[in-house]
Amino acid sequence: MKPARFDYARASDVADAVRLLGSTDGFNKPLGGGMSLGPMMNLRLAQPDLVVEVRRLDALKTVAEEDGHLAVGAGITHSAIEDGRIPEVTNGMMRFVAGQIAYRAVRNRGTIGGSIAHADPAADWPTALRALGAEVAIDGPDGARIVPLADFQLAAFTVALEPADIVTALRVPRLSPAARWGYYKICRKPGEFADSIGAVVHDPERDFTNVVLGATDGAPLDVAALAEAVKGGGTVEIDDAKAALAAQGAVFDDYGNQIHAVALSRAIKGALAS
Amino acid sequence: MSATGIGASVLRKEDRRFLAGRGNYVADIAAANEVALAFVRSPVAHGRIRSIVKPDGAEHLVFAADDLDGVAPMRAPSKLPGYKPADFPALATGKVRFVGETVAACVGATRAEAEDLAQLVEVEYEELAPAVDMLAARAPGAPLVHEAWGDNIALATRTEGDMAAVAARAAHTVTREFRMSRQAMVPMEGRAVLAEWNSRMDQLIVHTATQVPHLIRAGLALFLGLEQRQVRVIAPDVGGGFGLKTYVQPEELVACWYAMKSGRPARWISDRREHLIADANCREHHYIVTAHADADGRILGLEGEVTVDAGAYSIYPFTNCLEAAMAGGNLPGPYAIEAYGVRTWTVVTNKPPLVPYRGVARPGVAFAMEMLLDAVAREVGREPHEVRMINMVPESAMPYTNIAKKTFDSGDHPGAVARAAGMIDVASVRERQARGEPDGRLIGLGFGSYVEQAAHGTSVFASWGVQMVPGYEQAGAKLTPDGGLELRVGVQSHGQGMETTLAQVASEVLGIDPGNVSVIHGDTGLTPYSTGTYASRSIVMAGGAVSRACKVLVERMKTIGGHLLQCEPDEIRVADGRVMGPAGDLPFSEIGRVWYLNPEELPADVDTDGVEAVVGYRPEPDHGTFSYSTHAAVIALDPDTGAVEVLDYIVVEDCGTMVNPMVVSGQVYGGAAQGIGTALYEESPFDESGQPLASTFADYHLPGAPEVPAFRLAHMVTPSPHTEHGIKGMGEGSTIPTPAVIGNAVNDALKRYGAEVNETPISPRRILAAIAASQGEAA
Amino acid sequence: MTEISLTINGAPVTASVEPRTSLADFVRDGQRLTGTHLGCEHGVCGACTVEIDGEPMRSCITYAVSCDGAAVTTIEGFDDDAAMEDLRQAFTENHGLQCGYCTPGMLVTARDIVRRLPDADEKRVRLELSGNLCRCTGYVGIVRAILSVLEKRRG
Repeated sequence: MKPARFDYARASDVADAVRLLGSTDGFNKPLGGGMSLGPMMNLRLAQPDLVVEVRRLDALKTVAEEDGHLAVGAGITHSAIEDGRIPEVTNGMMRFVAGQIAYRAVRNRGTIGGSIAHADPAADWPTALRALGAEVAIDGPDGARIVPLADFQLAAFTVALEPADIVTALRVPRLSPAARWGYYKICRKPGEFADSIGAVVHDPERDFTNVVLGATDGAPLDVAALAEAVKGGGTVEIDDAKAALAAQGAVFDDYGNQIHAVALSRAIKGALAS
Repeated sequence: MSATGIGASVLRKEDRRFLAGRGNYVADIAAANEVALAFVRSPVAHGRIRSIVKPDGAEHLVFAADDLDGVAPMRAPSKLPGYKPADFPALATGKVRFVGETVAACVGATRAEAEDLAQLVEVEYEELAPAVDMLAARAPGAPLVHEAWGDNIALATRTEGDMAAVAARAAHTVTREFRMSRQAMVPMEGRAVLAEWNSRMDQLIVHTATQVPHLIRAGLALFLGLEQRQVRVIAPDVGGGFGLKTYVQPEELVACWYAMKSGRPARWISDRREHLIADANCREHHYIVTAHADADGRILGLEGEVTVDAGAYSIYPFTNCLEAAMAGGNLPGPYAIEAYGVRTWTVVTNKPPLVPYRGVARPGVAFAMEMLLDAVAREVGREPHEVRMINMVPESAMPYTNIAKKTFDSGDHPGAVARAAGMIDVASVRERQARGEPDGRLIGLGFGSYVEQAAHGTSVFASWGVQMVPGYEQAGAKLTPDGGLELRVGVQSHGQGMETTLAQVASEVLGIDPGNVSVIHGDTGLTPYSTGTYASRSIVMAGGAVSRACKVLVERMKTIGGHLLQCEPDEIRVADGRVMGPAGDLPFSEIGRVWYLNPEELPADVDTDGVEAVVGYRPEPDHGTFSYSTHAAVIALDPDTGAVEVLDYIVVEDCGTMVNPMVVSGQVYGGAAQGIGTALYEESPFDESGQPLASTFADYHLPGAPEVPAFRLAHMVTPSPHTEHGIKGMGEGSTIPTPAVIGNAVNDALKRYGAEVNETPISPRRILAAIAASQGEAA
Repeated sequence: MTEISLTINGAPVTASVEPRTSLADFVRDGQRLTGTHLGCEHGVCGACTVEIDGEPMRSCITYAVSCDGAAVTTIEGFDDDAAMEDLRQAFTENHGLQCGYCTPGMLVTARDIVRRLPDADEKRVRLELSGNLCRCTGYVGIVRAILSVLEKRRG
């Protein structure tokens, strides 16, 4: 189980990374921590021609607060967030989520930007950050841009990145002090990819309430009817969640219908109890 | 009991190197000028190979079946009447019969380069309809895995029981269907081989990760057309086996062939994906069982139909029909049953071959029998542990020959149940169950019992018709010139700690510190013949042989010692590394010095074979030992998610004399953890076209530390009346009841729904489906 | 081929590597440090866990080229480490290993647990071990060994 051959270059800065990624017509991949790309390359499920290492770029390791957001550099590791080594603007939600990703040895190298760019539906950040209303900062041949996460992930493993684009930061809105959140993950074992994820952020002060379902076979789903229910202050039972999913056409197999409804219901109960 | 002999929890001698990262596994060995192999594997479950196109310029580095001159297909015959052996080719010949089957071998300077080449080989297949499900494959008209057979049944057996007599007296007749799914064995070290031809020795030297080096040697010689003296098999440190490493592998044969052909050492190291999709799998049994019970729950008669999915080929040497034979013989478990009838089918399918995994058939057997017993208990309204106790063979009846002609040697089976019930505290569990959990989870209580025949002897293996019948196990014991001891055994230790426990046996007999004993194992060039390590046999057989060899050595040392100490040999005793007479003593090094260096001082009556002995041993009678155990578990089941947490887990076990209680406990814990894997997590599923659906650890879930409970363990000790030191085999045992224990606990939790899950793994998906089905029925 | 310079177990190493060579293969085949084991090569089993710049990481899915300039410590590099000495002793006393294959990665993780989480209880220790699979021991001896070292370090 060894990767196919690839060329390797280490970018000196973000502009260099963009240049290198666009320097050939081949299949070129930026390499952050490599905790998702590495397994795929070892299994030869991904066979890039050129790998551009961006893990050590200072620009991707900065964390800055700006206009109500925390810009978390794409190269920040899960364990840095888990350990509280960056400012916490989400009332503890990001720390909580980070600590549940894979295993410590993976969290020590894997990055938030890499996870978002990889867009595995069963991963934690795509769902959690979408619930938080985060945005993705992207740099590319046409310059920098910011895309709401909701518009970024298009499908499983499919995102709005051009071949020479890289994710530079995640812009996470600062929650109000009274904002509440819930996050409920169903997986067979700690560290495994999820079978279902329910994520809820309820921030009345900012008039922001979001309920998101993850670990489906596509991009995370906003469940607007449940967000309305949360705003209304009512509890959401499993059958309510099932009905809300069915009403918006989100139908899975029997097991999926059940556990997705459970994850949403429990995430909401957790948020309301916190 | 001495501080270093039998019964002492001596810390393991082998630990130091492993803790330092200085173990030596096959993949750690480098050979000059070596090449690496990678394999082109079939992407289809069943098909004809139309063509194989080798990459331009690399034709000399790619090999298909036609290139393997002198390599015979692996045949594992059985003497059982009607058995059809399914030859296993090293590289597919004409047809492929499972996804992952080796089609071509590619050679590279590194594994990565070999894989590059494998990616370029073009193979065209004509796909055929596959036989995937064993019950469908058993039925007439199914696609044929081996056309010439006319059906897919490798072996069918039938044992008639006098059911009419008991059925008339039965107040209850309970029938259930059970399925234990196919899984992988997953030692942390995969299979690995490094083969090289040594011209000086005129010998193929094969380092391979195996439990049975002498059997692998026999197989390699047979299939490569060599004499056995021309093959030396060395198993260095081996990272777990569990049954996987007991058969000759196609990749191993090809590596040997290439090393002989090219003169270059050839290495093949299995990767995890290869293990999960292409190595032999295990388990996969289907049962329909019926109990005829009286009003108290006493089982009068038992009927079973056992089907085993044996995969496409028969593995060498143990064949693919051993599972079904074991299942048929073990279904009655530890119970006194008047009438028993069983039919078994060994069915071939388009899946990887089946090889016996820790417990060999009995986890499936126990899953059926122990869960049937609980169904009977529910039917008669009694506690399951009570129903177990009234059905078991009582201690007063030992030795006892059961309905399947197994002679239990000793032990208090009902006593183990009672003790487990006391430890788990049945009354308080029932109280908690009735009270309900604050988080809405459902409590379930489950029991499971078994008797484990181990170290099966000559007569047992001969009755199974296999060609490698173990006889007298031999061990060599040699006093070194400086008074140390070397033991030579043909078994292989790959986690069992035999470098320590066999030294303890020697210490018991010879009075030598285990620190002064070297145990040499796993090398056909250095050790006496043995069929190897499997069937919980090594500490019984090799331990017994070491004991006997050391006893011979003691007699010879007494003769020399008596001469040197001026006393009669029978006045000498050995202890603390010294021969001791009535009026003085000498260190063992003096005995060594005299024999090796100053033979002029030897007495006239010295044994001319000296201070080295190779002695053969087998227990009499040789029907094997019978360890037994009862497990009990409390689980919490989330009825919304189907998640199961094991809250408490009790093991009460009796394996006779324990050579090293710490090692015994370690085997119990490890086996039970594997049983929890089978019960709740592990499955190698296939889709309708025969594609394996679990090819990485993302899909194949091994239990980790959070999933495994802190087992609570109690030992009972009833020494075997038949073996040296009263030792009974036990290495596999605790995998046997665990799936049933968890299954019974789950079904106990699901009682309120009238739902049962009777298939492993007992996954959230299956639990939720069972609950939903019961509610559908209720509605 | 790409030239890299790093330290391995405190010693400077300069080597030319193929970009596709994992750190695990580099230390095993290139440096003959075979205590780092490969159990899955996709980041789940933990047998390959080594320390990179002071933190445990997976060497099977980390490429050697990306370790240019890093300080790598494999199981062979902890012989003078007090926490590791305690753990090794505790692992043997508690029968925390059988076949030995998962042991190096298990020890690197265990050392991280006892240093980073001095107050960890059994539940936390088990959770932190979720990325290191053992097929032999049922984790009983491993968990006990780590808890005993935590206890000792708490004094």
